[in-house]
Amino acid sequence: MKVRAMTLKSAIFAGAVFLAGCSTVPTTTATLDQARADYVAASNNPQVASYAPLEFRQASEALDRANRAAADRESLDTIDRLAYVAKQRVATAQEVARAKAAEKEIADAGRQRDRMQLEARTAEAERARREAANANAQVAVAQQQAQDAQAQAAAAQQQAAQLAERSAHLEAILVELHAQKTDRGMVVTIGDVLFATDRAELTPNGVANVRKLAEVMMQNPDRTVLVEGFTDSTGSAAHNQDLSVRRAQAVAQALTSLGVPRERVAMRGYGEAFPVASNDNAANRQLNRRVEIVLSNEGAPIPPRAAMR
Amino acid sequence: MDMKSMNLLMRVGAAAAVLSLAACASPEKTPATAAVAVSHNAVDNAVTAGAPELAPEEITAARAKMMRANQALAAKDYKLARELAVQAQADAKLAQAKASSAKANAAADALNEDLRVLRQEVDRANSN
Repeated sequence: MKVRAMTLKSAIFAGAVFLAGCSTVPTTTATLDQARADYVAASNNPQVASYAPLEFRQASEALDRANRAAADRESLDTIDRLAYVAKQRVATAQEVARAKAAEKEIADAGRQRDRMQLEARTAEAERARREAANANAQVAVAQQQAQDAQAQAAAAQQQAAQLAERSAHLEAILVELHAQKTDRGMVVTIGDVLFATDRAELTPNGVANVRKLAEVMMQNPDRTVLVEGFTDSTGSAAHNQDLSVRRAQAVAQALTSLGVPRERVAMRGYGEAFPVASNDNAANRQLNRRVEIVLSNEGAPIPPRAAMR
Repeated sequence: MDMKSMNLLMRVGAAAAVLSLAACASPEKTPATAAVAVSHNAVDNAVTAGAPELAPEEITAARAKMMRANQALAAKDYKLARELAVQAQADAKLAQAKASSAKANAAADALNEDLRVLRQEVDRANSN
């Protein structure tokens, strides 16, 4: 019986130890409330679920332990201690989620940067291609312009050559006709010998000379002629005037009959005026009996004869 | 008291001790030492991650609890040592997570700024 009593005493002692370990407490503390609130916030954060599932589970377990301690009415210190650990683990889960989200952002940004750099390079290449095309177009335009200029130069050269040729030809004929250069233009003299004596008809030689002049006129459409007739002082002035007009007329008609337009051919008779030599001997008188053909300078009118000498 | 009853008394006492241990998970030396070692490791990791600059409050708390856990170990208060070690570990892990997330967020911000500048340049180049 003594042993039994001792056994009972032992049991009571054990119960006392048990009670001392787990004294009665309120169901919650400020730290536990805080941990619960933080936990609710974390479970409402989708990033926590996707990026920190392991940490969130550890936080859940820690909170469960704290909640159990509260339900079991363990000591305030115990509940606080467990709640503190739960609170820190909830915060850890949030931070891990934040870190992982940032890391994902970094990866996304890297991809975005690569894409943008590619875009930039593509744009650069496109711009270079456009610039090259523009440059090529400009080169083509410049080449065309150079060709045009060359063609113009060639044409000008050809024209100049034609002009030179024509002018050389004119020169040659005028030399052949013993033309004289004067202020009024080139002057070709058809001498007395090219007319029948005291008459207005041209001899064949005279016609040949006039034909050459007509040829010059045809080749130089910008020039006009003035045909001037003169005589010596023998005979009456009226007769001489008449003869000078008729001879000038004969030459002018010869020119128009050879194709020179009438409006480019003017004529005048001066009778015995403007002698080129004295009328005191036969040779000089023959010099005075003449027709002068004044060939105008290109595009310029023929100035009138100066006042009588 | 005969030997038999003495033996019984000892067995009851042992049972009470076991009951007491089961009720409050009274710590022993080995798990407490292990918990302190794990926490020490967690503090080291947090420091490596840059916690002294990026999570000074948490790392200071972790270090203070580590110190107290070591003192409790020396004083053979294994229960307190283990509790403090668990708390220190929670603090250290939070410190490490905060440091990592601060660094990652700073890097993400810098990269986003780079992106913004690059986008501007591309837009400008495209508009030319």
